[in-house]
Amino acid sequence: MKQISPKNLPSFKLFLGALLLLIGMTPWLSAEEKQSQAPAPAKRSDSIEFAKQIQPILAKRCYSCHGPDEQEGGFRLDTEEGAFVETHSGGFAIVAGEPEESLIIERILTDDEYMRMPPEGEPLKPREVKLLTRWIEEGAEWEKHWGFRKPIQPEIPEVSDPEWINNPIDAFILSRLEEQHLQPTTLATKQTLIRRAYFNLTGLPPTPAEVDAFLRDESSDAWSDLLDRLLASPHYGERWARHWLDLVRYADTNSFERDGDKPNAWRYRDYVIRSFNEDKPYNQFVKEQLAGDELDEVTPETITATAYYRLGLFDDEPADPLLHQFDQYDDIVATTSQVFLGLTVDCARCHDHKIDPIPQTDYYRLLAFFRGLPPYAIGRKEETLLNFSQRDITSAETEQIYEAWEAEKQALRDQILPLEQKGISKMPGAAQRATEGPRREKLLAAKLDDYLNEEDWQTYTALKAELEKVESRELPPREVTLAVNGTNPNPEPTYVMLRGNPHVLGEEVTPGFPELFEAETPDFPELPGNAESSGRRRALAEWIASDENLFAARVMVNRLWQHHFGRGIVRSTNNFGQLGDPPTHPKLLDWLAYELVKNDWKLKPIHRLIMQSKVYQLSSEAREPELSLDPANDLFWRFNMRRLDAEEVRDAIHAVTGELNPKMFGPGIYPEISAEVLAGQSRPGKGWGNSSETEQARRSVYIFVKRSLITPILAEFDFAETDRTCAARFSTTQPTQALAFMNSPFLQEQSARFAERLQEEAGSNPADQVTWALELALSRLPSEEEVTRGVDLIERLQEEHSLSKEQALTYFCLVTLNLNEFLYLD
Amino acid sequence: MAFFKRPVPNTFCGRTRREFLWQAGGGFTSVALAGLLAKDGFFQQAYGATTNGPSANPLAPKPPHYPAKAKSVIFLFMYGGPSHVDLFDYKPTLFRLDGKTVDVKTKGRGGEKNQGRIVGPKWKFKQYGESGHQISSLFPHLAECADDLAFIKSMTADSPIHGSAMLQMNSGQILSGSPALGSWVNYGLGTQNENLPGFVVMLDPTGGPISGAKNWSSGYMPASFQGTVVRSKGTPILNLNPPEGMTDAVQRELLDSLQAANQEHFATRSDNSNLAARIASYELAYKMQQHAPEAVDLTKEDEKTLSLYGVDQPETAEFGRRCLLARRLVERGVRFIQLYAGGAHNDSNWDAHGDLEKNHSYHAGRTDKPIAGLLKDLKRRGLLDETLVIWGGEFGRQPTAEYAEGTGRDHNSYGFTMWMSGGGIKGGASVGETDELGSAAIEKPFHVKRLHATILHQLGLDPNHLAYFYAGLDRKLVGVEHTSPIREIIS
Repeated sequence: MKQISPKNLPSFKLFLGALLLLIGMTPWLSAEEKQSQAPAPAKRSDSIEFAKQIQPILAKRCYSCHGPDEQEGGFRLDTEEGAFVETHSGGFAIVAGEPEESLIIERILTDDEYMRMPPEGEPLKPREVKLLTRWIEEGAEWEKHWGFRKPIQPEIPEVSDPEWINNPIDAFILSRLEEQHLQPTTLATKQTLIRRAYFNLTGLPPTPAEVDAFLRDESSDAWSDLLDRLLASPHYGERWARHWLDLVRYADTNSFERDGDKPNAWRYRDYVIRSFNEDKPYNQFVKEQLAGDELDEVTPETITATAYYRLGLFDDEPADPLLHQFDQYDDIVATTSQVFLGLTVDCARCHDHKIDPIPQTDYYRLLAFFRGLPPYAIGRKEETLLNFSQRDITSAETEQIYEAWEAEKQALRDQILPLEQKGISKMPGAAQRATEGPRREKLLAAKLDDYLNEEDWQTYTALKAELEKVESRELPPREVTLAVNGTNPNPEPTYVMLRGNPHVLGEEVTPGFPELFEAETPDFPELPGNAESSGRRRALAEWIASDENLFAARVMVNRLWQHHFGRGIVRSTNNFGQLGDPPTHPKLLDWLAYELVKNDWKLKPIHRLIMQSKVYQLSSEAREPELSLDPANDLFWRFNMRRLDAEEVRDAIHAVTGELNPKMFGPGIYPEISAEVLAGQSRPGKGWGNSSETEQARRSVYIFVKRSLITPILAEFDFAETDRTCAARFSTTQPTQALAFMNSPFLQEQSARFAERLQEEAGSNPADQVTWALELALSRLPSEEEVTRGVDLIERLQEEHSLSKEQALTYFCLVTLNLNEFLYLD
Repeated sequence: MAFFKRPVPNTFCGRTRREFLWQAGGGFTSVALAGLLAKDGFFQQAYGATTNGPSANPLAPKPPHYPAKAKSVIFLFMYGGPSHVDLFDYKPTLFRLDGKTVDVKTKGRGGEKNQGRIVGPKWKFKQYGESGHQISSLFPHLAECADDLAFIKSMTADSPIHGSAMLQMNSGQILSGSPALGSWVNYGLGTQNENLPGFVVMLDPTGGPISGAKNWSSGYMPASFQGTVVRSKGTPILNLNPPEGMTDAVQRELLDSLQAANQEHFATRSDNSNLAARIASYELAYKMQQHAPEAVDLTKEDEKTLSLYGVDQPETAEFGRRCLLARRLVERGVRFIQLYAGGAHNDSNWDAHGDLEKNHSYHAGRTDKPIAGLLKDLKRRGLLDETLVIWGGEFGRQPTAEYAEGTGRDHNSYGFTMWMSGGGIKGGASVGETDELGSAAIEKPFHVKRLHATILHQLGLDPNHLAYFYAGLDRKLVGVEHTSPIREIIS
């Protein structure tokens, strides 16, 4: 690279040298900055990381004039190509290895106000200049953002305490802790572990008997056996399906004025539960949802999976129908790119992505894969809903029954018809003509016996009776599911839309993967004439789920980690781009992605791996100096406590009170909603059904998800926002939750049930009742003091407040269900 | 909970706000800068699941971006779409053309039309006050407050269909899933009274509006910011009253036992502030039980006040009670109060497709005096200056008839009228115009987002800076493009 000496500042080199020296002597960070940075990013192999340390400075201070929107002086710093090009003034902004020759440093440091960059605001901080300078010194490597690089099979790091390691996960975690001279906290007790494992894998608390058995099992396989049992439990699928349903914006209705039902959406929910339970390989799971109708082997299951495309918002009365059609595509592009790739391609709908290298054309190229999908429906036309979004998936056996039934009916009709004709031929002309019209049946019933002989008439009535019998036979119901239907094998062309406006078209584009992945554009072979679909989505699915790709694998293992540890290794689990969070343990993340592929994309082995690690078995106990140095637990020196999420809260209550109905699958259930809440609807009660008390006590994953009427106890505890992909739930604490937990009819009712259970199972001695209640609710034996406190409360309520024994016990149960320990996992 | 940190007021990374915005400029930075800042802990992102680590109350009071003119908002939502040409937008031509078929472009429930039969306004207009505002005879009481009102007569919205138009007026977007205006206000400013919800919604007795709770949802923000429905009769807030038979003493007994156990649990986990927050939330809930009934208790109001709001007359009693409640809530520091005038469907709200005369006489009749009473009462108590009152629906109505017969008008999002009062708004002002038929805004059209920008601005929040990072983007109530408040009506 040509070296350029600054012309207007002859003594520049000298000056710069002095200045760098000065900067070098200033402390690296101010005291305050040190504070805010603690703990420092653990890696200090000392070389500058472009994406982490340099790019943010460029983005914040330079991009507005030298970036995607404007390139003043024809110069841009947001791309490698642009940054190293010869500038208009004939110099080079960045000369690798030579900060003193790099114009960017010169222009940042100059005293000349007219020359100094950036022209507005304060000059760069000394710390920032030093980073830039060192980066150039080290070779100005324009490193691709971590999230856009393929995972690399990492080496398992060595640690100074190999004794501590259960499996490689621990090596990755411990080596980072050791670098920082931090130590992991104590190990959790078996009591804590079993509760943690039950909730994390099944969303339910263990029963006291299960806790007891686990505590007694002193074999070295106790933990591993427990994991096997839980992973084999059907409740595992119910719990983990719900995480997936959050991601794919699952709901049973469309939103907007009518918030109409999405018929048979529940079959998709059941499909997800079954897929998790049978440990369907994740790559297969991806392919089924994205292209279940285009695979070699299309089954009712893979068709049901395509309901993935039908779960979004739908306005049956859009102000701008064309815009709404593309809003639906946008929903699919946003969900698909964030959920499967951890990429916010949807940010490029109106213009190039402002931060990530996603040009606007990428958005429309991705959209082109879906262009053959018709909209969910058109307006309120029932037939369009059926043609576009419903599909008959009746099983082959049932289909055979129907075919046999049809044949049987036809055979009878074939015998009936000649007899009818025989009679008709003897009728007067007018009557004969009448049998050709709609009056035929009536006329035959009234007159035919006059024109047939006795024998024929006997035969005829017998055949008719037989036909009637066959016709009224009860057959297994046909099965219909929400799914994509009516796809266009020759999709309309896709155009870039200027500012995202479907009324203003730009250039035509063809299907292609986001540029940053540097993947080859897929080929689409000539379709057979009878093809029902273009095969484009299959090409997309196969690329996303390919063994070579690993991007999708990395996104998914991060989600598994997230739901075990309370946060992902990348906290922004739907966004691995530059506005997302960097991974706290990038190598561990890549390693897990490889493990997933190695295990044929099966998730259960990854769960097992994670849960058998030592880091999973840490307590949540605080210790110093770890707490002060790493309060956010970036380094996983302890286990993160978490509040139960909405479904766990409701299901745990039912489990503890003994009301939980484990029935699986089927159409959504409707918990009772109070009139006050229904009054918020424009037609109070509309679209909400009735379920029996036992049905209502089923697991929350089966609750009908009505977008405009979320079941209050779920809404109170931060149920997923249903209208877009939801990567992480909130965990708010609000007084309205406390009101609901103290006063709502649901809690009162459940407390009464809990009290009845105690009386039945623990007898009439208050101490026994209290002990059993706390054991059920907290999965541990209570202390003597706790029992005394409970008994005291029950006694005081009777003696000082004149409550009945039953009422006092019910109120004690209410208090128990309100305990922080009941709602928070250690 | 609690990932919401606020900057020190008026300093942005050590610079003044002016410098900051100047540097931020338009274009690229308006989208990305706040996101980058978020990574510096400016507006921290929410990841939900992590519960350890420092936490703060998301509703803790926060300083505005710049000195606020208004502390609270009362949004009088005329659900269904009131007919501006029959109420405030005086169009002499329409009277003259009554019954005549004219060429005019309209778009409503009935689709797009290029021609229609003019329905002359059914009420006489008169000028009032020093401002000379034209107000129809449907609002005799409100007319007395003419000089306190500032009209925007050139409002436009993107949709003439209730569902999407309601969502836009309430959340800025025609698709559901975004936070409501009241959520944004509470996100930006926090609450002034923890004993009451910061975002209150009071529904019409006939039912909620179309899309129900979607209209006061916090969308992609945490539930701490969602609207709470407050009722003027019965239990004011859901689950507020202890169950029958549970005395206050018993409840206290239960709470004491609970808190003792929770404190014990907390003792060995004292670094987890969420546990502390949950302990505190029970005391807050307990206090809410004491305060909320008091806040909605109108027996403390004197007869003159009740009469001012029309609470003593059957026609106006219901809406009057809610207007009076709104004042009481404002006095108690509630940030954002939304009152729905009209509910459910068709003529239960302002949606006058059939008989306009009957419909609007009814809805104006039951709201005119209460609204005037509210303005007068706020003013005499010195509260109007710091309370922003907004009147309007999700759109207006067409100058032409919807059907061959009758006076019914279809929806109109091309042009309609809203007014604001108090809270630093220039009383007596009027801005914008529709064409001579009132069919579309022609002079200074103002999109809904300009209204939203004005509301935030009066509260001291910069509409182009109040951002919430979600799914890769800094989301704003007013969208990505720079949006200015309506300066013409700001005093």
